[in-house]
Amino acid sequence: MTERRQVNIAKSARTTVFYIFVIGIAAIILLPVYFIISLSFLSTREAYTYPLPLVPALNTHFELRHGERGYLLSVYDRVEGGYESVLDTKDSKKMSEYMRYQLATPVTTEDLEQQFAKLESQDVVRFSRRRNLLENYQSFFRVSGYKAVPALIRSLQICALTIAISLSVGGMAGYAFARYTFRGKNLLKFSTLFVRMFPGVAIAIPMIKILVGLQFYDRPIGLSLVYSIGNIALTVWITASIFMGIPESLEEAAQVFGATKARAFLRITLPLALPGLAAAAMYSFLGAWNETVSAIILTQFNPTFSVIVYQTVLGAVGQVNLAAAGGMAMALPTVIFTFFIRRYIQQMWGGITI
Amino acid sequence: MATLTLSHITKRFGRNVVAVKDFSLEVQDREFLVLLGPSGCGKTTTLRMIAGLEEVTSGTIEIDGVDVTDLPPRRRDVSMVFQNYAVWPHMTVYENIAYALKLKRMDKQTIDRIVRESTAMTKIDELLDRYPSQLSGGQQQRVAVARAIAVKPKLFLLDEPLSNLDAKLRVATRTELKAIHDKTEATTVFVTHDQAEAMSLADRIVIMKDGEVVQIGSPDDVYHRSVDMFVGDFIGTPPTNFMDVELTVDGGESRLVSPHFDYPLDPETASKLKDYEKKELVLGVRPENIVLVPEEDAVLSAECLVSEPQGSHQIIAIELGDKIVKIVAPAYPKIGAGETVHLTFKRDTLCFFDEESGSRICE
Repeated sequence: MTERRQVNIAKSARTTVFYIFVIGIAAIILLPVYFIISLSFLSTREAYTYPLPLVPALNTHFELRHGERGYLLSVYDRVEGGYESVLDTKDSKKMSEYMRYQLATPVTTEDLEQQFAKLESQDVVRFSRRRNLLENYQSFFRVSGYKAVPALIRSLQICALTIAISLSVGGMAGYAFARYTFRGKNLLKFSTLFVRMFPGVAIAIPMIKILVGLQFYDRPIGLSLVYSIGNIALTVWITASIFMGIPESLEEAAQVFGATKARAFLRITLPLALPGLAAAAMYSFLGAWNETVSAIILTQFNPTFSVIVYQTVLGAVGQVNLAAAGGMAMALPTVIFTFFIRRYIQQMWGGITI
Repeated sequence: MATLTLSHITKRFGRNVVAVKDFSLEVQDREFLVLLGPSGCGKTTTLRMIAGLEEVTSGTIEIDGVDVTDLPPRRRDVSMVFQNYAVWPHMTVYENIAYALKLKRMDKQTIDRIVRESTAMTKIDELLDRYPSQLSGGQQQRVAVARAIAVKPKLFLLDEPLSNLDAKLRVATRTELKAIHDKTEATTVFVTHDQAEAMSLADRIVIMKDGEVVQIGSPDDVYHRSVDMFVGDFIGTPPTNFMDVELTVDGGESRLVSPHFDYPLDPETASKLKDYEKKELVLGVRPENIVLVPEEDAVLSAECLVSEPQGSHQIIAIELGDKIVKIVAPAYPKIGAGETVHLTFKRDTLCFFDEESGSRICE
């Protein structure tokens, strides 16, 4: 009996250690993500308080008194537990702007005038207004001078083009590597990876020269060509292993039963390869979406979204919350795309393993 | 229902590898023909050339008198069962069979009727909504067979369809395949490396070695009248026993002499062998043609090395020189290892082979 108890203790000890480990890893990965998400919703004032609030306030509590220069505005501080004076002015427009940009709380000048009027009869006026949680995101797009939206569309175009080019060229090459034997096959397969050895910055000048010659400079097609070069190599390797995993006889069977080679490929092999192709598409998307260095060099008046984010983050000194919002705007599409394509990767026809 | 004619088919891979060499064959209407040989002998390549999945280097293939040598697989009107079944994993059983029929441009009602017919014949009519991953190997094999018979082809090609099944299921499925062939009467070409499978299924067996035909004949032909030592060794379990002997003629009497025995030949056999006097010969005897006899009638006596009881019979192994000779004996009396057995050969069952070429002498 004691032996069995010892075994049980050892077993639960192992389980405990395992979960501590897993939770530890999850915390290491998730905490920074959590901080950047929460930071992107904080007001500028909140973002520079210490300790940093874990969640943004939903309402801002204001207090108005008579001040030396006009009206003294105080804001309730959750950490200190009291009101702290922040601004002394009689200009309602200036106060409204301060409330909006620093406190992320939209209060109209009319509203403020009414509150000022109340001070005629009483010493202190207290009121609360709802926070605009998306203020940082709105101001991110405002600060980037409305270049962000066209840049976002441009980036999506580049991603789509990159996926189309690398998946069609790389997929076809992958199929050939999987199905046919020819002289120099292995060398050729390895050589697809050689192009990835060159850092984009190192070969930027010749790239610009070539793209200008093609009249592709500063256009989505130019950047997607550059991104495709690296992605084709990855796609070749991913799709080749996928096609190798699909028995050739499946296609041959379709041919024997009356399909042309093309039809057999489209109806039999392609659906079976879809999860692998989706994975390859995901890699292409992430690569093209996140790339910044080449994009800075190879664009001039038509930057990509990553360039805009980069510039905003650089320019947003003293506004770490704005930088966080930019980062989130950058990360969100990749998260959505990965989530969407995850279904295909997990898709297994009735739990089939090929 | 169709005939198949292969004339001087040759298949090369690259410059040096000859997979099939000058292969000629005629398959009759409704015949069940088996291509048999060890792995790498070119039997699967031959089948794939018939299906159109492999290009022919030289020679012609005719189905029903029509030259199909350069036609793609889809225009040959054949169907095939693959070694790994090649059941499409993203389609249900029903869809697998229906898709093959749809490729033949049949309408929905006809497809439905044929799917139900063919699945009933192969006893998988209760699995129609399952995906291949939810089926056992044997069931997948039935799907492949059902799909192949559903299209009612001129030619039915099977590439080692039973080799991935376990031994018991293989024997059971073998019987069913034969029954299905009797029902459909489709001209069938069946590839296997298992001689027992070939023997039990075939109308005719084509034995291949290194890309060439060694012998074409009925199961009885290849068993009892093996054309050379390769066939004698390949067919039958246990295979033919080979013993080196010398033919000596002493007066009118011919004898087979070896260090282990001295066997008098009947005059008829002796006359057939007269060119081989004083020459080395190989005597081939099937294990069931060596019989246990009382000591006084024995041609040779030896100590039993191992005996393998098989229920219906027992296999006795003896050692002659450096060769093991196997004998199929009745189950009783039981013979144990170390016991001395007295043996003789059955008359008219002996085969002789040329020692150098390995081919059969006389008849």
